[in-house]
Amino acid sequence: MAKKESERKESERKELSKVSNSGAGELVRVDREKESAAERAKRFEKDALQYMNQLYAAALRYTRDPDDAQDLVQDTYAKAYTSFHQFEPGTNLKAWLYRVLTTTFINTYRKDQRRPQTSDNEVEDWQLAEAASHTSDQGKSAEDVALENLPDSDIKRALLEIPEEFRIAVYLADVEGFSYKEVAEIVGVPTGTVMSRLHRGRKQLREKLTEYARDLGYVKGGS
Amino acid sequence: MESMNCLQCQEWLVPFIDNQIEDSAIFNEIAFHLQDCADCRNQLEIERRTIDVVRALLVRTCCEKAPTTLQERIAHQLHLIQLQQMAGYAQTEIITQYRRTEITIDGQTQIEIETSHEIRRDFPLE
Repeated sequence: MAKKESERKESERKELSKVSNSGAGELVRVDREKESAAERAKRFEKDALQYMNQLYAAALRYTRDPDDAQDLVQDTYAKAYTSFHQFEPGTNLKAWLYRVLTTTFINTYRKDQRRPQTSDNEVEDWQLAEAASHTSDQGKSAEDVALENLPDSDIKRALLEIPEEFRIAVYLADVEGFSYKEVAEIVGVPTGTVMSRLHRGRKQLREKLTEYARDLGYVKGGS
Repeated sequence: MESMNCLQCQEWLVPFIDNQIEDSAIFNEIAFHLQDCADCRNQLEIERRTIDVVRALLVRTCCEKAPTTLQERIAHQLHLIQLQQMAGYAQTEIITQYRRTEITIDGQTQIEIETSHEIRRDFPLE
């Protein structure tokens, strides 16, 4: 898991004095070679801790359990802190923290580890864009209103019921607003796979939500 | 380049809506096709609304705050790691390796002792 020492040293040399964007928008040079532990700690607290709520909300989706979510976020911050010297100042800290969160989750918290991974034909399926799956325009708006009236608990439930890979892709792209490329880097899969998971995840979510709305009588008729 | 047909356009609709098409040639092809094709424009709107509705619901729902206990736990742990680092642990990657040979007094038995000791920065969290 840890990078080879030589690689690490090489990358540290290259990243010696990068520019970091501090809160107020002014640019501060960070010389990571000369920075003391105390200075680095201060920089971490200033820059990284502000994402705690977001990471916690994501961890709830990842782990599906509030206690595990807390443990995951705590582990994420501990790991991020101890490897903060590897973070390249000036790049996207939020994305970096999400990568730590996601790898930590995949390596230690994933509950059903023996579950087979999503098949390789994800991308091909995506290529077969299913056109004509939608019906009339007017029907959709009524359905949209019905979905908007669903209680939060149903939305959380739908999110927890879709497969993990889809859930993570949808969460990162649609809630956190990461680009396909950023999601790909966070999760460690190709961009095409991200597109496929996102597309399928959204579709399944939509289907589940429509189903709940129908159960509640918000939407008329059968499927 | 041949102009784009409806099937090709629809393959790109979702990344187009997500504003994730980096290739400007493809982007222009899609925009050009959409200008001319009411069906694809309609499809675009339906797809966009579907994505927007689900996204709005997710954003509305997924906004839990970290419990104060978690904030305290994290602050405490970071403090502990800082203390460790100040004490010299985990501050740098330390790898020690040495080998020595011991021979018993009568010179008959020889043992080689090899020790390697490694502390990485991520220790003990890996």
